[in-house]
Amino acid sequence: MAGKESTLSHYLKSPTLLIIVFVVLGILVARILGMSTLDTLMTIMYFMGIALSLNIIMGFAGYVSFGHAVFLGLGGYAYVLLVYFIKPLADLQNVGLGLGAFVVAVLAGLFAAAVAASVGAAVLRLRGAFFAIATIGLDFTALYLMKAIVPELNPEQFFGAQIILPADKIVEKDIVFNAMFLTLVILLAVNYYIRKSPFGVGLTAIKEDEDAAEVLGVPTTMFKIIAFTLAGFFTGMVGALFSLNGGGVDETLFNLGHSIDMIVMIVIGGLGTVLGPVVGSLIYFELYDLLLVHYPGVNLIILGIIVAIVVLFFPEGLIGLLRKYKVMGMRLRDLLE
Amino acid sequence: MEDILVVENVTKRFGGLVANNKVSFSMKRGEILGLIGPNGAGKTTLFNVITGVYRPDEGRVIFKGEDITGKPPHVITRKGIAKTHQIVKPFNDMTVLENAMVGALFGKRARQITIGEAKEIAYQSLELVGLAEKAEEFAVKLTLRQKKMLELARALSAEPELLLLDEVLAGLNPKEIEEALEIIKKVKEERDLSIIMIEHVMHAVMNIADRIVVLHFGWKIAEGTPEEVANNPEVITAYLGDPRYALRFVKRKGGEGDGSS
Repeated sequence: MAGKESTLSHYLKSPTLLIIVFVVLGILVARILGMSTLDTLMTIMYFMGIALSLNIIMGFAGYVSFGHAVFLGLGGYAYVLLVYFIKPLADLQNVGLGLGAFVVAVLAGLFAAAVAASVGAAVLRLRGAFFAIATIGLDFTALYLMKAIVPELNPEQFFGAQIILPADKIVEKDIVFNAMFLTLVILLAVNYYIRKSPFGVGLTAIKEDEDAAEVLGVPTTMFKIIAFTLAGFFTGMVGALFSLNGGGVDETLFNLGHSIDMIVMIVIGGLGTVLGPVVGSLIYFELYDLLLVHYPGVNLIILGIIVAIVVLFFPEGLIGLLRKYKVMGMRLRDLLE
Repeated sequence: MEDILVVENVTKRFGGLVANNKVSFSMKRGEILGLIGPNGAGKTTLFNVITGVYRPDEGRVIFKGEDITGKPPHVITRKGIAKTHQIVKPFNDMTVLENAMVGALFGKRARQITIGEAKEIAYQSLELVGLAEKAEEFAVKLTLRQKKMLELARALSAEPELLLLDEVLAGLNPKEIEEALEIIKKVKEERDLSIIMIEHVMHAVMNIADRIVVLHFGWKIAEGTPEEVANNPEVITAYLGDPRYALRFVKRKGGEGDGSS
């Protein structure tokens, strides 16, 4: 919490910011020194990106958007269609070492955000399981719409809902990396800002008891819609750049598996914090990789069991667990935001 | 003195059940108004109509001369009405201080104060209700009495002009009730508040309220000073049934009707 001493020294004492900066620099250093392949780093950033996006509505406000993959898909399709059909946007991608691609991804994100804002007013009236089911419905609706619409757009080139970008419309992986990196940094900043702002306090109050929050003056409906829209926007951006990285898009982007990825990462890391999704996505990525290499075939089963154990015994996640303890008289809770 | 609140002909139905039936009353600034009646009389419903949780089917609610009927709760809170919940609703995963901060951040001065200022307002409210030393505890760890006081502190942090207390004394022992009453009196003086309190602890409400409104099956059946209301046969009937038996009962008990029903 930023109290009276909200000076630079206060923020430097906060390990949350330090860890965030460390993670960001870590990705950058690994990239520059070539310590890891570009694809690995992209995957890490993708995981972290979707976890941090969903965190805004699920972690802070407590609304589990089970069909959140819909925004991944909408962002992906918006991006690919934009650069496929609009030549200036395809050219823009190569401008400014990734800044151009970032701008196109913002446009795709805005499309996802527009959908989130318009359906948010309706589905956010529902709570708990009903909200989760409604978002799954949204996911399937968008999926079947794409399946119906996409082949009509260019019957000769598009096979089903799949679109493969031609060579002159894709960009170097370096450029995608830069755009994704910028998106991730902004996402971290937005998460951190929300956590420290009255908006974040209001969202946490909604998570704890929505009726009490409303009576205490929290504009619950507006806050939920803003949070859902932000979550949709950033998921859309990540989906856009993920699709660009893959050189195209297909219907698998709407898979509920992506939603489960996001939710699991947040749960492993800990709900309601900024560090939760960061740490959770790193752990999840490592586990995913490790299990895939050593136990191919049963990797997902083992992962599922691990997740079940986490949910059963540590429902507050790693950061949530650590937040309960004190170290040298300092409450970790104040440090691990 | 001006009327801080006017409730005009409020009717609220839930299907076939009429929870409030043409209820009207007004209160002056600085007054403590007791709202009593047997269970199911529609007291909490009336609070929910005033705070905007329910929209009345008929009638109006006027706060400081402004019609606030049907406005959403968060808007009404910002205008200066705060409420405590009958069933305590602390934000369990937040500290006591953070709980009170929510009140400050979204209360009368919403959007005008920083987190730091909210913290200070919250702390002052906690001091007022005697919870300051628990500021850093998680709300889930508080006792019932402390949770009730947290409800009060949270409402006070919103810096209201009108405070609605929904059974803050219920479930407390006699000593705690005395303490709570002292706190309410102190708070009223220091914050220059008007208060409406729903209460079943009769001797407490008779003691502290300037005036009392009695509801029964959704109707307002009496209004007046505590003495007037206590001697009103209709009120006694509502609480205890036939007045002849009721009077005998009250006399035998020594007159102090602790009428929690």
